[in-house]
Amino acid sequence: MRNKLYSLGFVIMITSALSLSGCGSDNNNGNTASPATDEPAATSSANASAETNSPATEPAAGGASDISGKITFLTNRTDMIGKEYDDYLKRFNEKYPNVTVEFEASQTDYNQQAKVRMASGELPDVMFVPTIPNSDLPKYFAPLDDLGLNDQLTFKDFKSFDGQLYGITTGNSTTGIVYNKQAFADAGITEVPKTWDEFLAACEKLKAKGVIPLASNFKDKWPLNDWVYSVPRIIENNPDFPNEKLNTDTPFTMDNGYGKSLSLLRELNEKGYLEKDINSTNWEQSKKDIASGKFAMYYLGNWVINQVIGAGTTSDNVGFFPLPYDNSGTLTAPLSPDFFYAVAKNSKNVDAAKAFVKWMIEDSGYEDFAGFISPLKGKESNLSQLKEFQSTGVVLQEGTVDDAKVTEITNKAQLDLPAMAQEFVLAKDPQTVFDKWNKAWSKAKKDLGY
Amino acid sequence: MPVFGTLSYSKQKTIIIVSFLLIPLLLLATFTYFPAIKLVYYSFTNWDGYSPEKPWVGLDNYREVFGNPDIFKVFTHNFAYFAMGIVQNIVAIYFAVVLNSRLRGKNAFRMLLFLPYIMNGVAVAFMFGYVFDTTNGSLNVFLNSIGLTGLGQTSWLGTEGLVNYSLASTGFWRFMGYNMVIYIASLQAIPRDMYEAATIDGAGPLQTLWRITLPNMKPVIQLNLFLTVTGALEVFDLPFVLTKGGPAGASQTYVQRVVETAFAFNNYGLASAMSIILLFFVVFVLLLQQFVLSRGGNN
Repeated sequence: MRNKLYSLGFVIMITSALSLSGCGSDNNNGNTASPATDEPAATSSANASAETNSPATEPAAGGASDISGKITFLTNRTDMIGKEYDDYLKRFNEKYPNVTVEFEASQTDYNQQAKVRMASGELPDVMFVPTIPNSDLPKYFAPLDDLGLNDQLTFKDFKSFDGQLYGITTGNSTTGIVYNKQAFADAGITEVPKTWDEFLAACEKLKAKGVIPLASNFKDKWPLNDWVYSVPRIIENNPDFPNEKLNTDTPFTMDNGYGKSLSLLRELNEKGYLEKDINSTNWEQSKKDIASGKFAMYYLGNWVINQVIGAGTTSDNVGFFPLPYDNSGTLTAPLSPDFFYAVAKNSKNVDAAKAFVKWMIEDSGYEDFAGFISPLKGKESNLSQLKEFQSTGVVLQEGTVDDAKVTEITNKAQLDLPAMAQEFVLAKDPQTVFDKWNKAWSKAKKDLGY
Repeated sequence: MPVFGTLSYSKQKTIIIVSFLLIPLLLLATFTYFPAIKLVYYSFTNWDGYSPEKPWVGLDNYREVFGNPDIFKVFTHNFAYFAMGIVQNIVAIYFAVVLNSRLRGKNAFRMLLFLPYIMNGVAVAFMFGYVFDTTNGSLNVFLNSIGLTGLGQTSWLGTEGLVNYSLASTGFWRFMGYNMVIYIASLQAIPRDMYEAATIDGAGPLQTLWRITLPNMKPVIQLNLFLTVTGALEVFDLPFVLTKGGPAGASQTYVQRVVETAFAFNNYGLASAMSIILLFFVVFVLLLQQFVLSRGGNN
């Protein structure tokens, strides 16, 4: 007995010793792993090692051949490294022969990675602005006002602080009606609708043909985002409309942007122009159905165009036009930015970095590759759908930055605008939905003391 | 350091027990008790989930939860899962009794009924999205093909009073086999000679079921009911994947609401308080069930 216990005890001690050493080796792994992931950061820190006194004031738009140096660009488009970027670099070097650009692939969470690099002071020369307050921009980035682009840029104020520009949008998106041209032709619609009445008439023709006019993907909720985040502000013709909720206890009324926008959606549903059962929709299937012409239209961002083409149709069968939200005949569509380029303040080669940003915006053609609208005002797109969209004479309305207070009230009131849109469309009396959320809004606003 | 073998028997026993339990206890403490204590702490703060400061607000969160009747109204949605769970248990007992008898191919049947349980919950939910689809769903296509065209138009996930039962029936499909296996195990623990004695005394099959089988299974039935009740109170994955709480919140469950409060509206404090309240609610329901079921008296 005693012997048995002795050996048992021995076994246990060995086992626990083993498991402890197991933990130990785990720790070691952890330790060795972290320098490995930091490796790219180390290389870029070598670039920025002599960072301290860089001439940030010198204009970037100087003589092209004077500018030289090596810069690093931290990009989220890892798919373009070794392909399109190589081509960009070749074309860039024709203009700026003495600049070398290194493309660094970001990890999946660009924002997180960029913030870590900011904290450690090892920023790449060219990067995208992560989500930081605009007041922090001057701490990390160089002003870009000397690029000579200021009066042509969209979203100039988005990443500006104290009148200086720190970030330039890489490309913009808009929202509109993406449609199957064949389905329109089969239903006898020869011209894209320019007023709400024409739009309804087109829907009626499509419906008579047995085609579902507009795929709302109502159930999934996020496809309704534009109805609550963009349409209200373009109807009001006021980019800051969403932030003006701060000044009222009743932000949702039938005769303001929210009520008008959601009434459009409700009308489409009541007339049977949306899916047969809007509570049972299927996003993946809807792309195929748009491509095949079983559904005719989406109201979504231009990013969906490539997805529809990928779901099984050709590019020339997909069209894109602004939503005619009223009968005035003037068209406005929302414009939203993507990532913003920025140049690190402590970069060793600020001029080279600025030249690269300028070239990316003006000459690279990146916006066409990525399916964006150009960051420069009024520059026509080479993509056929965006060309069609712009040819309607639409006014693109830039949005404004969300007011932190409005976000705070929204969260406090547990107000989820797309969910409210769903309630609004399904309710017997939509006014009750607005009443309910107005009450929640004013209460949250009062509780927070705004 | 004394040699292990020279220690007294009880000391050796203590050392062995402690060393065996050390790692599981450590894991339990790290991944269960520590987060639980943090949860209690957060429930007294106004933390938004990311800022370094966690302002102390005392009982404000609890007051807000109890002051908002909307939050508790979602429990009515959970009733469907409870009702379905009762049906599920009855059916599970039925199958357990049938498949515990001498039946050809009973192992194959047992396996078939148990199979849904081993599937991933989200995958099951995703799959049932195709079953319940109104226009192309297999359920409605089937109903139409057998001539029930009226019923074949039903919006299973889009009708306010129906959606929770549709979702709960998915749970039924998935967990019935699991309950059944537990019931079969308890059936096999009932001594055969009791049945033999009863048969000799002239008891019929129904009488043996009522007087021998069910009383002997009582503790297991209690266990399964407990699982059903807590399961019904804590449903999350099905509505989250299939309906996102829709149409217009008709299938939102309490846990879904907690998750939304924390992650969509950045109110970790309130969400923590809601979780703590759910915990107490489960304990309360459990005590109630114990009280009701033990009144029949096995003592």
